[in-house]
Amino acid sequence: MPTVRPGRLRLLFALFAASSLVLAGRLAYWQTFGRAVLLERATDQVRSDLVVAAQRGVIRDRNGAILATTVQLRSLYALPSRIPDKAVAAHELGILLGRDPAPIRASLESGAEWLYIQRWLPEETASAIAALHIPGLGFQTEPKRLYPNDAIGAAVLGFVNDDGQGVNGVEGYYDAMLRGTDGRLVVERDPANRDLAVGLREAVAPRDGADLTLTIDLVAQTAAERELAAAMKKEHATSGSILVVDPADGSIRALASAPTYDPSAVRLADPEALRDRAIAWPYEPGSTMKAVTISAALNEHLVRPTDSYNDVGYTIVGGRRLNNALGKAYGPTTVSQILERSLNAGAAWVGTKLGAQRLSDYFHLFGFGRPTEVDLAGEVSGTVRPLAEWYPVDVGTASFGQGVSVTPLQLAMAYAAIANGGTLYRPYVVASRRDADGEHRTAPVAVSHPVTADTAATVRSMLLATVDIGIAHNAAIAGFSVAGKTGTAQIAGPDGSYIDDQYVSSFAGFFPADDPKYVVVVVLEKPNSRLLGTVTATDAFKGVAQDILRYARIQPDRRP
Amino acid sequence: MIAAQAVPLKWGTSAAGKARRSFDRGTSAAGKARRSRSAGSTGASSWDLRIFGLAIAAIAFSFALAVVYVSQSTALSVAGYDVQKLAAQRDELRRQISLLDVQSARLDSPARIAADAQRLGMVHARYVPLIPAQPLIAKR
Repeated sequence: MPTVRPGRLRLLFALFAASSLVLAGRLAYWQTFGRAVLLERATDQVRSDLVVAAQRGVIRDRNGAILATTVQLRSLYALPSRIPDKAVAAHELGILLGRDPAPIRASLESGAEWLYIQRWLPEETASAIAALHIPGLGFQTEPKRLYPNDAIGAAVLGFVNDDGQGVNGVEGYYDAMLRGTDGRLVVERDPANRDLAVGLREAVAPRDGADLTLTIDLVAQTAAERELAAAMKKEHATSGSILVVDPADGSIRALASAPTYDPSAVRLADPEALRDRAIAWPYEPGSTMKAVTISAALNEHLVRPTDSYNDVGYTIVGGRRLNNALGKAYGPTTVSQILERSLNAGAAWVGTKLGAQRLSDYFHLFGFGRPTEVDLAGEVSGTVRPLAEWYPVDVGTASFGQGVSVTPLQLAMAYAAIANGGTLYRPYVVASRRDADGEHRTAPVAVSHPVTADTAATVRSMLLATVDIGIAHNAAIAGFSVAGKTGTAQIAGPDGSYIDDQYVSSFAGFFPADDPKYVVVVVLEKPNSRLLGTVTATDAFKGVAQDILRYARIQPDRRP
Repeated sequence: MIAAQAVPLKWGTSAAGKARRSFDRGTSAAGKARRSRSAGSTGASSWDLRIFGLAIAAIAFSFALAVVYVSQSTALSVAGYDVQKLAAQRDELRRQISLLDVQSARLDSPARIAADAQRLGMVHARYVPLIPAQPLIAKR
């Protein structure tokens, strides 16, 4: 029998012992210090840590009609390796998606393991594709912001970009509120990727975004958009805006801006269309500003409606001659007639009585030269230059709306102050928001009281006469009293001088004149009919006003 | 056979068993002597049997507990899957509702209604004549 030397046995034993010690040590290490790492790795294989997206809030009009909502739409994806016949699949998909099959086939044969064929499919298309039962195709639901009224109200609503971030309008201003807070779900899953009821489960529920109810009335909004589109088409105007405001509290009932865009298809929109003309377009208001100048002078008791001056067709202010439109002279003219005939010389005469300091102060009291703080993203302030920068002539030109710039919304709010008896309100578009804590209503905010109720009533009657027997007669509506003022302003070029034959035509008015319920402002940039652009503006005003009067069932206050 | 004989000694309820137990509990001198002689070995085996029985009972109880646990856990898992299916159904129904809400809003849109009316040949009424109610009331 072969014998084994004891030395070898010892060596073998020592080797085994050493190996055992190493293994035991390693085992001890993994059981103690390395335990957490192993546990983490093991848990990672079955644990799923998901972000549970919060639902973006719904935006509705004042009557509950949906203006914007988020729905889960199906997106079509492909696992090309599992599609048996890519050519046939591409052909059938091309028919249903209304696309050329060649690019679809190319993407399927690109070698990608997974790819989107088309995202956010209409439900009918998704159902039709699902009915084909093509192996290797699947659907994944993704949130998509939808605007059921297409471009109607786009300027108010804004849009949501591909990152889910609200841009412009209400979507931009209230983004954080609409977006809500995402939740989290940590759960163990089985090999089929199903949640296990037993085992690790940590859940933080998402907090859905608040639902907003706007002051916007879809019917008034549609009328404003329709009339603005018609006016833009008729005049080939560069841009335009129509605003409808409730003078009683400053709530905005309609806000239209042109050019416009479809918030569901922002990629196709002209970048210029994304600018909300109602709040982000400062322009020289022209004659609509005369009502503000005369309000200030009446409030300061510097003039009375019956006070008169001799109109010679021009006036000299600061050594410069300021002409009436077309240089026409009217002879003895009352303050009321300054508005009725829209006389620049008369407005400058009133302006010089006020003086630069008081005129500037009243501009600020009426809300010009600073943002209105409307709850929409992207507002600009317009310009009322500091008094130190005024030339002597500026008191004359500013009196009839030159040398200052305003936004259509600022003008609408100033006219609302005249309409409601002298209170300037902060405009707003969100009437209430509803979140997990309940409903929160927006309270109207009075910003200032630029004129007394008596002054406001006097100016209202002057503006009524301007429509009844004056320059704005085209704005008259049978059966109703309408007050308002037209405005035609030249457009300043980059060098500060006015461009020939290019104007901004506008009309600002309210109805019924004795108890105003609505203020409507129409502004058109560069109308084709130039000085006669105000006719189109008053037509648009009437179109909106007549729809609103019928819809709101406002009783006639005059014999037709 | 040994087990068959041994079990009735402790647990049996048959008449024979009872007789054997009453025999064991006998008060005669002979019986006492026999008991005192066999006290050591019989007492020990009796304790062994009790321990064995307890162990069996514990195992059976544990097994039953395990079966109950596994069955409950399985039932819970199945219920969990059912809950998931129902949650998926609920989510799908909610999705369908929101899609129908959008469709309803589209159909109610004044702009769409106006466009459809225009397609039917209707025109927008620029002027709607109004009749003041006061003269009519005065005539009555």
